[in-house]
Amino acid sequence: MIKTMNQRIGLILFLLAAVYLILSYQLPSYPYTAVDADVIPKGLGWFLLVLSFFLYFSKAIETDAEKAKRAIPKKEVLVLASVFGMIFVYILFFELIGFVIMTAIFIFFSSWFLGYEKWKTNLAVSILFPVILYCIFVFALGIVLPKGILPI
Amino acid sequence: MDSFQGLLSGFQVALSFEGIMFVLIGVVVGTLIGMMPGLGPISAIAIMIPLTYGMNPAPALVMMAGVYYGAVFGGSTSSILLNAPGISGTVASSFDGYPMAQKGQAGKALAIAAISSFIGGTVSVLLLMLLAPALSSVAISFGPPAYFALMLMGLTAISSLSEGSTTKALISAVTGFMVVTIGIDPQTGTQRFTFGNVNLLDGFDFLIIALGLFAIAEVCMLVLNRKNRSLSDSQKLGSLKLSKADFKEMSGPVSRQSFVGFILGVLPGAGATIASFISYIFEKKLSKNPEEFGKGSIKGLAAPESSNNAATSGAFVPLLSLGIPGSGTTAVMLGAFLVLGVQPGPLLMADRPEIFWGIIASMYIGNVFLLVLNLPLIPYLAKILSIPRPLLISLVITFSLVGVYSISFNVFDLYMLLVFGIIGFLMRIYSFPAPPFILAFILGGMMEQSFRQSMTISNGNFNIFVCSPLPLTLLIIAFLSFSVPGILNWRRNRKNAKV
Repeated sequence: MIKTMNQRIGLILFLLAAVYLILSYQLPSYPYTAVDADVIPKGLGWFLLVLSFFLYFSKAIETDAEKAKRAIPKKEVLVLASVFGMIFVYILFFELIGFVIMTAIFIFFSSWFLGYEKWKTNLAVSILFPVILYCIFVFALGIVLPKGILPI
Repeated sequence: MDSFQGLLSGFQVALSFEGIMFVLIGVVVGTLIGMMPGLGPISAIAIMIPLTYGMNPAPALVMMAGVYYGAVFGGSTSSILLNAPGISGTVASSFDGYPMAQKGQAGKALAIAAISSFIGGTVSVLLLMLLAPALSSVAISFGPPAYFALMLMGLTAISSLSEGSTTKALISAVTGFMVVTIGIDPQTGTQRFTFGNVNLLDGFDFLIIALGLFAIAEVCMLVLNRKNRSLSDSQKLGSLKLSKADFKEMSGPVSRQSFVGFILGVLPGAGATIASFISYIFEKKLSKNPEEFGKGSIKGLAAPESSNNAATSGAFVPLLSLGIPGSGTTAVMLGAFLVLGVQPGPLLMADRPEIFWGIIASMYIGNVFLLVLNLPLIPYLAKILSIPRPLLISLVITFSLVGVYSISFNVFDLYMLLVFGIIGFLMRIYSFPAPPFILAFILGGMMEQSFRQSMTISNGNFNIFVCSPLPLTLLIIAFLSFSVPGILNWRRNRKNAKV
């Protein structure tokens, strides 16, 4: 039943539209208004539902270029997942440890992980970039970034 | 204030020390970001928005406009030197630019690109100056139904003109609209799809979506292509000088395509990419030697370059005079306006002439800066292409995260940036175009508002959209723009099936 990629995506979108519609129908109504808060969401939900049908039953055959675009080797998926993992850790400790330290650690390790071997340049960039960015934001633009465990 | 006076006051803004400095910063940063493979004007604008917080709106917007056309200008460099277009608007430039570079004429190709871009950009600003005020004065009488129909037309146009399947583009637009319904409904105060989460009450800031769907998603593509070559030091650019014959060959395509590009830029949904392709095909059809195209033809490079830059300024017409962006990039530009508390639209010319005319006047100066920067300095600027990919990836990620943090000071938004980054990446690999998503996200709130205003005016009667000629015409165009390609496709499939 589910053979092509379009059918798989169509099914996921159908479920998404269904959940969205159920939630739209649960929105509370407000008496004194011509168009209530639920009208647009309901319209959008139904429209997505119809579009997901179109996608599911579309006869368009995936071109080779499209297939090549989504054919990512497993190793690369792992690399991407690791980069996202690093960003996650960066965000997790962003406020606690502070912008400068976390950014320096992040830039150094992610660049190294992605294959940058000149560690001296890497170290210099990872220290200078967050320090300069911090100074621009905090002192020039007046936007406070988390200082974390550093005194300033 | 008539146009001439307005333009003079615009030049006062653009030629002040502050104005010149920010135009220069804008075009330099735009060129540099635009040059980097993968990063286009949307990422460039989104990355620069946080730096405008606290600035005066006029110089800030002059700078952001500079970032935009600078990025389109710079995009051609990576197309020519690496055959890796930074943005889709310069893909057509690589068809003849890269073969020229391979023949050892990279310098000449860059010079042709710079001069064509300059002429395209300048002609287009001239037309923008004439058309935007005229459209503004017409648009001042538009009511909510006309606005709603206009926005709907913009959305359907961008969906049907997007690369690939129209169904996928429409899905992208509808989901973008759905995301904007999250949060407190401004009219009734109802909480929609917030699941009781306080962080969702205000909905998502557009910067999260723009940086997630574009910058972070582009970074993911860079991660996958991180081993592609960067510019090597040994690559010689060759002479930048052009002969009289070269200029003669360029003159035809540049003069024609500047106009074509502008018109396509003004139309909703089209923009730089489509303009550059159409101009390329147009010149190939006109040419006496079409077989030269794709092998390093001067005409084949001059046509898309003049056209994509002309389309960039053309796209400012609906943005400045109607307040409605016609493309993904101008949608993010609108976001930049709103961040600074400026509402573009028919009232902008009367209420904030210094901004309206300042931006237009700054474009003349910006184009001159770009020409000066790109011709003699291009060998030095191109060095940025030799930044190692791993380092570039880390820096763009950091910039995006800081940008989002500095609008809300909320770590929750950073996680959301990550989520939209993943969504943007999945959209890219499964061939769902992202520009309709961001346009729908930006227009969604305004569309819902004008729809509800219209319905309130008419006391809940839908006739308000079909009883006056303007909204009716726009709605018919909107309907045709997505139904006609579908019907044509269906007929073609049926014919093929019969054969």
